[in-house]
Amino acid sequence: MSPNSHRHCHNREILCLVGSMVLGTGNTWSAPITFNTALPVAQNEFLAREQFIVNRASDDPSPLNRDRTAKAAVSVLGYGVNSKLALFGVLPYRDNELKVKIAGRHISRSASGFGDLTVFGRYTLVQQDRPGRNFRIAPFAGIKAPTGDDNKRDAMGKLPPAAQVGSGSWDPLFGVVGTYQTLDYQIDSQISYQVNTEANNFEAGDVVRLDGSLQYRSWPKTLGGGVPAFVYGVMEASLVYQQKNRISGRSDDDSGGTRLFVTPGIQYVTRRWISEAAVQVPVVQNLNGDALENDYIARVSVRFNF
Amino acid sequence: MKIIRHSLAALMLLLLIPVAQAAGSSYALQVDGLACPFCAYGIEKKLSSIDGVVDTQVNIKTGEVIVTMGEGIPLTEDLARKKVKEAGFTLRGFSQRSGGDAHVPE
Repeated sequence: MSPNSHRHCHNREILCLVGSMVLGTGNTWSAPITFNTALPVAQNEFLAREQFIVNRASDDPSPLNRDRTAKAAVSVLGYGVNSKLALFGVLPYRDNELKVKIAGRHISRSASGFGDLTVFGRYTLVQQDRPGRNFRIAPFAGIKAPTGDDNKRDAMGKLPPAAQVGSGSWDPLFGVVGTYQTLDYQIDSQISYQVNTEANNFEAGDVVRLDGSLQYRSWPKTLGGGVPAFVYGVMEASLVYQQKNRISGRSDDDSGGTRLFVTPGIQYVTRRWISEAAVQVPVVQNLNGDALENDYIARVSVRFNF
Repeated sequence: MKIIRHSLAALMLLLLIPVAQAAGSSYALQVDGLACPFCAYGIEKKLSSIDGVVDTQVNIKTGEVIVTMGEGIPLTEDLARKKVKEAGFTLRGFSQRSGGDAHVPE
């Protein structure tokens, strides 16, 4: 096999990884710990959230021994247009590294920079407030814009989509989020669909996901007066299905599939800010062909009310 | 020295202004939907933006928000309801706690 054919094979295999990139970090607008879509924003007020994410995937059923580490610092800004309508922007800064082993040689390709900007709006359709509890249902819709660089290069040429920081495609998304909150616990759930479109002869499979989150107040055990800080124990689950990718119009049999993550975490909640951490552990990965499996996704974030 | 003394006196007067304002009426707002500390900040901020408000105290357990106005400055139920709604919650009860005119329910 010539070096060129090695490279061709290498690039093609790496293309297969884009699906897991989308599953792992691309869908950043719906962070599994206290989803971005459920963030509360008052009228004419701003809310900011900064997430730091490490997504490791090294369980490779193929002989390439692929090993991917995708790090991201994701900035989220929310604004309350009125008491019903809120607008959000999500902008990641990415640092991607992909290692493969070809003919006994380890090859590493990487890129960093600002990724694709996602903007979406959420409208609270149902709102029921009772003493010490509330219930909300809110549909949302938005689009991921190709603001990230999708033409990063290194000495070997143009990087494969899995290592690029941008996708190059305009990808609409929509869904609905529900929240039931009491003084003792909070339950959030959402279902969403992201339509991934074609760019650079590559089209990631569409993604549908169902997320659920339970936040249970662990401290203080009993509430006194005023507004004490809360510590929540968090348990979340994310069921993610992705269609197969398409490369130059042809379906990629080594991409897409179903993943189920279970996510234990913790939150410290005050009036002005929230700090939180969680680790997404894949408990089911029913993937097509040689699609790369996730090891874990770790998240640490802070949130501020202005 | 004279200038310093006068400046200090002016500063003392400025510091006394909030104390004088705190002598006004207090209102108890019963707010439905309040269930976490992060939500409480939004309602504090909205109510504090009302002209004449000198203090707001939230009790998250009871859902009660005490709003203290400057002396002689009333808080209307309509305005309180509007601000609570802007914060994303629902005003269930409104009553005056001390001083000022008696509250007339709407």
